[in-house]
Amino acid sequence: MTVLDRPPVRASAPVPRTAARARRPRGAGLTPWLFLAPGMILFLAAIIYPMMQAFQMSLYDWKVLKGLSSEFLGFDNYRRAFDDPIFWRALVNSGVYMAITVPIQVVLGLLVAILLNRKAPARALFRVLFYLPVVTSWVVVSLMFKYLFADNGVINWALRDVTGLTDGNISWLGDRWTAMAAISVLGIWKGVGWSMMIFLAALQGVPRDLEESAAVDGAGALARFRAVTLPAIFPALAFVVVMLVIGGFNVFTSVLVMTDGGPAQQTQVLLTYMYQLAFADGEYGYGAAMAVLLTIAVFIISILQLRAFRGRMGSAT
Amino acid sequence: MSHRLSRLVATTAAALVLAACGSDQKPASPAPGSSDSTAPVTLTFWGTYGNGGNRTQTDVLQKSLIPAFEAANPGVSVDYVDVPYDSFLQKLETSASGGQLPDLIRADLGWVPRFADDGALEPLDTAMPNFQKFADKTYPGSLATNKWEDHYYGLPLDTNTRVLISNPEALAKAGLSKPPKTIEELVAAGPKLAEQNVSVFADSGLQTWNVLPWIWSGGGSLTDEKLTTATGYLDSPETVAAVQMLVDLYQQQAIPNLITGNKGGTPTSDGLPKGSYATILDGPWMAGVWSGQYPDFEPTYSPMPEGKGGSISVVGGENIVLTAESPNKDAALKFIEFTQGEQFQLEMAATGQMPSVVGLGDAAAKKYPELAPFAEQLKTARSRPAVPDGSKIDTILNDALTQAFTGKASVKDALTEAAKQIDPLLSPSS
Repeated sequence: MTVLDRPPVRASAPVPRTAARARRPRGAGLTPWLFLAPGMILFLAAIIYPMMQAFQMSLYDWKVLKGLSSEFLGFDNYRRAFDDPIFWRALVNSGVYMAITVPIQVVLGLLVAILLNRKAPARALFRVLFYLPVVTSWVVVSLMFKYLFADNGVINWALRDVTGLTDGNISWLGDRWTAMAAISVLGIWKGVGWSMMIFLAALQGVPRDLEESAAVDGAGALARFRAVTLPAIFPALAFVVVMLVIGGFNVFTSVLVMTDGGPAQQTQVLLTYMYQLAFADGEYGYGAAMAVLLTIAVFIISILQLRAFRGRMGSAT
Repeated sequence: MSHRLSRLVATTAAALVLAACGSDQKPASPAPGSSDSTAPVTLTFWGTYGNGGNRTQTDVLQKSLIPAFEAANPGVSVDYVDVPYDSFLQKLETSASGGQLPDLIRADLGWVPRFADDGALEPLDTAMPNFQKFADKTYPGSLATNKWEDHYYGLPLDTNTRVLISNPEALAKAGLSKPPKTIEELVAAGPKLAEQNVSVFADSGLQTWNVLPWIWSGGGSLTDEKLTTATGYLDSPETVAAVQMLVDLYQQQAIPNLITGNKGGTPTSDGLPKGSYATILDGPWMAGVWSGQYPDFEPTYSPMPEGKGGSISVVGGENIVLTAESPNKDAALKFIEFTQGEQFQLEMAATGQMPSVVGLGDAAAKKYPELAPFAEQLKTARSRPAVPDGSKIDTILNDALTQAFTGKASVKDALTEAAKQIDPLLSPSS
């Protein structure tokens, strides 16, 4: 009634509507920023700023001390990396570690998740046990595996005295590929629980009715898994693969503790080599250049993966 | 998607954080230039005395020496911070970049030229009026490690060297009743011991600290005396022969692959008392290591086996340095003087730290007979090249020698290549 009483006012100037419109954007303009600010400031200060500084560092023969002049080298540090055989070996080692650990972690993680998704006695206990390595310190488990794979360690003892497969004198950590194998075993053992957890969560979301109707239609367990379960958990699968690939390229602590890149740089991975360059040799600029290269490589691989998965997800739904 | 992408960026960026060490922080230091003798001063002193959880040295320092210094210097207190050896260099680097270095550092010999070259250290020969008086009393080999270009940046704090330590029972298996006196005797025992699964010698790397005693005693060398070139020295026939001797033993399985970097190998500190290894080269601290774990083990200490070049071992130890950014230089210099005195040197000697002051070294060897073989060896021991890139030289040498030991390159080729890579690291930046 009151509105109808004031038609002339509305006709001349639609005050309430414009006022409402003008107020909303102003309020909306500030509020989201306030919500964004804490995370954004942290992100800019802790991630973007160091990233930019690392890039800057990579263009110099960087001296850590304040007041010392750092020589500008342009892209010389990057050129140097391409001619550095240890860089390429480290890249191959990181790639091999990724290629071995990611598929096995995905398959084992999914398998364990499916098993632990069923009703079974002590299900919670097993979930905890599989997840335990994930929450254990990298340094602790790396030391543990170093002793397991030592010349007089449990692995050699088991191979000789229990199974009789070898004469038990393999120097696991004394050769490039056996050492990479030991490091990969640790990576898988420590990582399975994490992918299991993601898959378990995803499996809860698989539509029951679809599974039941597939069963009614006579689909076997394998067919049900392929046609119902897999498409339903595909986003989780994509997430796990992308994160594991990134994690694989960033393998560090286990290598540092178990072999320290040795013997003679044979098991160097990108991060341990970077660490050695920066903190043992004082080559901060060169180390930073390598960090930038690694970031670009991981970024490109991740985007390619997301593209590929998005294609699959589109066709699956 | 964009949410996930941003998470992706965040995760990958973590790799970069590692390399980003430059920070703009200024040290929260007390008032600059507080040379006012009445104002209380706290000196910070970083070191590695407690490495390996061994409390004997930190106890002497913190319960006896520092209180004695503080009593003699009212108004000055010393805050000693123990840092594990393995992370010390990294801590120093990051602290230097942030302007957070302590006043005083007990630095590994090899680090002095590096930090001096970076400008992080105060030249003691100009800052300390009576520097020469103290310098003249120290072992020349130890003092030399404090020099970079035209200045001395520190004073020796303690010294040590490696001698041959043997397991008499293991040696007996080769019919030896005494440790080998010459390199030839040691080589001859190699195959006999290998037959009984005992390694005649073991070591855990092929860096300068590890191989220089063999090279020097064999008559070879790493560089010329003025540290300008490795070519012509590291690849000389004498050096090649000395290394070839070790390679031959390795290939006869008389030296275990611990030396080529097998991190799963039995450590020398376990292998010797257990009798898997007959001899090792190591320092005066080993007695302390074994007293806890292998109390019944009675090793024999003898000089580095002699070769064409004599019996020459390598000088180790630590120097004390003053940082350029220290706001308490006067008080810090007083503490440096204190470390050169009889009380400091002899109380530390009781814990296995050899005195770096010549007169006190002899006194300590008399008082603690277990130090005598080391004091004797020190008379001929030489120091590793004191250059800022010492750690790179170690990496190059270690990698080249590993190639030679594992048969991937001849000794001559490996050393020639290593010398070529080491040359540019030697000639001082002029």
